[in-house]
Amino acid sequence: MTAATGQNAQLAARVRRARRGRAVARALVGVELALVALPLAIIAVWAFTDAWPWPDLWPQQLSARGIEQALSGRQNAGVQTLALSIGIAAATAVVSTAAAALACRALCHFQWRGRSAFQFAALLPFIIPSTVFAMGVQVVFLQAGLARTVPGVVLAHSIVALPYAIIIMTDITRAAGTRREDAARTLGAGTWQMLRHVTIPQLLPGILSSLSMCYIMSFSQYFLTLLVGGGKVQTFVLVLFPYLSGGDRTIACAYSLVFLVVTFAVFFVFELLLRRFGVREGDDLYD
Amino acid sequence: MELSLENIDLTLGGKPILHDVGFTVPDGAFASILGESGAGKSTTLKIISGLVPQDSGRVLFDGACIDDVPTHKRDVAIVFQDIRLFPNMDVAHNVAFPLKMRKVARAERMRVAEEMLAAVHLEGFGRRRTYELSGGQQQRVALARALAARPKALLLDEPFSGLDEQLRDEMRTLVSSLHERFGMTSLMVTHDPDEALTMSDAIMFMSDGRLVQAGTPADMLLHPAHEAVSACFGDAAAIEGAVAGGAFTAGKLALPAPDVPDGPAVLVRVPDREPFVHAL
Repeated sequence: MTAATGQNAQLAARVRRARRGRAVARALVGVELALVALPLAIIAVWAFTDAWPWPDLWPQQLSARGIEQALSGRQNAGVQTLALSIGIAAATAVVSTAAAALACRALCHFQWRGRSAFQFAALLPFIIPSTVFAMGVQVVFLQAGLARTVPGVVLAHSIVALPYAIIIMTDITRAAGTRREDAARTLGAGTWQMLRHVTIPQLLPGILSSLSMCYIMSFSQYFLTLLVGGGKVQTFVLVLFPYLSGGDRTIACAYSLVFLVVTFAVFFVFELLLRRFGVREGDDLYD
Repeated sequence: MELSLENIDLTLGGKPILHDVGFTVPDGAFASILGESGAGKSTTLKIISGLVPQDSGRVLFDGACIDDVPTHKRDVAIVFQDIRLFPNMDVAHNVAFPLKMRKVARAERMRVAEEMLAAVHLEGFGRRRTYELSGGQQQRVALARALAARPKALLLDEPFSGLDEQLRDEMRTLVSSLHERFGMTSLMVTHDPDEALTMSDAIMFMSDGRLVQAGTPADMLLHPAHEAVSACFGDAAAIEGAVAGGAFTAGKLALPAPDVPDGPAVLVRVPDREPFVHAL
């Protein structure tokens, strides 16, 4: 009898502890969400605000001025600027992910002299401050005739994004190994068939993460674009920045909002691709 | 297809892996490479398939040297111990993969895939994802996929090691019957002496990167010519079979058993003694 009540009491205590744990977890998630969502919400409201004097809790007057300005830009070039930025970011994502995929293959699957040195060199842009790096790149690109051109900006962005892409791709490349590739070859797959049907599908989660990462790296790059583009290559961030520092909150927030929406849209497309190729189902991909 | 290796040498990363390995598997025969792990058995299969190029020596298919033929054109399929199905394709597409690589029309590919799945007793599994299957089913899909390639030679790299004992027996029977049915040359790597004894027409015993003895299962068992061979057959084991007309048979293993009455019998191996047959 007493033993049974003792057990019940223990059980009740355990249940209470578990409940308390869940409550703490919920509270933490709530704080986390608030930290991300509140600033975003304020940006969203500011983007449609005409006047919001302190200490009002809600803007006096709403307007679409900011969004109109963000989409039309200076000299009515807003949409072109946006398209150019997306183009540069997409090209950067493809270039650095492709380079990273090849580099990871070389690093993970082959033994060769100078491998460690290569690995270190590939991660070097990480260690050098990007302002220092931008100065160096500008000098080299001026000599090479790449400065003030779109391909020059893409290349500079790709170099900065490459270490991130390599870090993302290394683990999945190592985990995927060459075992399935060997099997494909013995079953009659030539090099391109093997790449198309085995190698790329098994690396796809990493490839898409890397594309997303490099895209956002490029899309949000300011100083490097300014220096290498020489003011001639006008990306979205270059147009947005003066408003941020100049104090026109409405327009700055409108730009930020467009920036966010575009980025989410691109990530959504990446996610759709991932589902389309159906490699996220099941978890035996990395076995 | 007759499969021959001549004087194969291989060193990888300064470490000698294979030394002067040579043997011939006659057309349509089932041969096993037996030996401890690290003896170079799997590497020998990789050389036959062209995944690893040898340092010297030749690989011959029907007497023709194929050293310059790339892996995907050699028409030898490997069934691996770790299965290696493609997770981004369903079961039918896995099996149809070799046909797709050979540009066979879609309808024909799917027809053959169904046929091969039926051959490994997996009718109706075509639409499943590979990770939904058990280990034994996955290995049968891998077998069907290799057979769909209509290989000149089927190479099996410890195909049953990852399976539990009962499944292993079923798979052995299945592989032996498919070998007969498709009439191809098969070469299996194994470290299990009983598996090699009962399934093979011929056994090649490898030790330390060298071929130390080759012969029929009965030869290897009764007349081991190397201490590694006798050590391999030296542990206690029993193989179930039958005696008829003074001869014991279990699968492809046939031994004289003059004084044993016809009927079910067992071959017993005990350390340091001649193997003997006992009626059941």
